[in-house]
Amino acid sequence: MTQQPHLHACPDCDLLQTLPRLESKKRAHCTRCNAVLAEAPPRLPQLSLAAGLCGLILFIPATCLPLLQFTLAGQTGSNTLAEGVLRLWQQDFKLLSLIVLLCSLLAPLMHLLLNTFIALCQHLNYCPPSFSRSIKLGNFMQEWSMLEVYAIGILVAYVKMMDDGEIHILSGSYCLAGLMISLILCAQSFNAEQAWQFWQRRQT
Amino acid sequence: MNAATAKQHGLARCQHCGLLSAMPARDQHHLARCPRCHAHLYFRRHHSLQRSLALCLAAAVLLIPANVLTIMTVVNLGQGVPDTIMSGIIRLWQADLRAIAAVVFIASIVVPIIKIVALLLLMMVVQFRLSLSKQQCTALYRFVHLIGRWSMLDLFMISILVTVVSLGNIATVDTGPAATAFAGAVVLTMLAANSFDPRLIWDLEHHDKH
Repeated sequence: MTQQPHLHACPDCDLLQTLPRLESKKRAHCTRCNAVLAEAPPRLPQLSLAAGLCGLILFIPATCLPLLQFTLAGQTGSNTLAEGVLRLWQQDFKLLSLIVLLCSLLAPLMHLLLNTFIALCQHLNYCPPSFSRSIKLGNFMQEWSMLEVYAIGILVAYVKMMDDGEIHILSGSYCLAGLMISLILCAQSFNAEQAWQFWQRRQT
Repeated sequence: MNAATAKQHGLARCQHCGLLSAMPARDQHHLARCPRCHAHLYFRRHHSLQRSLALCLAAAVLLIPANVLTIMTVVNLGQGVPDTIMSGIIRLWQADLRAIAAVVFIASIVVPIIKIVALLLLMMVVQFRLSLSKQQCTALYRFVHLIGRWSMLDLFMISILVTVVSLGNIATVDTGPAATAFAGAVVLTMLAANSFDPRLIWDLEHHDKH
């Protein structure tokens, strides 16, 4: 099987085309359907690694510290990310609890871990056999990571309960906001093509 | 070279790593692997329309219990108020929380319906060769991908409320059976969007033999 390095096929419409030089523009788009074909390598190659590590550190307080606190008639309740999943499991909504677990905990964590691992490997110029599997799994996890939706969920829950009792946003929510920023930075500065080229260079 | 697809030149783009490589001869199609990442190599996703249609219909069926059954019960001093998705939104609207009501309405009613209708439309475009603008069809496909995850909003809110509002006898929130059905519908529409191959829309232009 021969490879065609100079040609590109659009992922959305399969049109064959040659790419323009990417120095001036940040992205190359498909001439027919405007899909993003390639991105210029990030100006700060370490940003992905830094954002990933920062996100991993923030992940601990974001999942362990309470997000919201609700007080009614002297009784107080609070929640963490993990407790929500656990409570659904206890209420016998096991399938639902697993979906929430995947989208709000497991996928963001795996996405961060794998992206950090990939960035670290490139940084140290070390290529373990699991490198290509990590990129594929990282892509999958990124698709199912829905922490930004969860953050809006916190906001909706907050507004919804405002009239019924006293509700406060606690420190966990601020850590979650920081975690979200790290996740976005990590995803934006991650260049998959660069990682694949690194893998290919080390294979031959 | 212009307006020629990779498939017409016997080239296939790997769905995992994006590498373009030549497809081996026809009798070895099923064995083809990407030379860079060793994923299965193919021109178009196999059985794209069938899979996408099956998942779409299953999601549409699940949306019925999701909207008819109770999704959440707020128990206040022993008195439970069961809510369906729609009655919860109406309650928010009546409590003058209109912005939030609109957000929840869009995320849990409009988005799932738009997704299913849009995917069915795209499948019809491919199957019956409808002459709609291919640019707009592709834009619609990208839009479906973009909005898909936002339907999970209601479910995350429930998972937050069941833990925050667990005040023993004073107030609790219980999940209802509609929540599982709704989660199923959301996941199935996401899988349906993933199994649809947008390149099929553009293949209509080239009169490829299938």
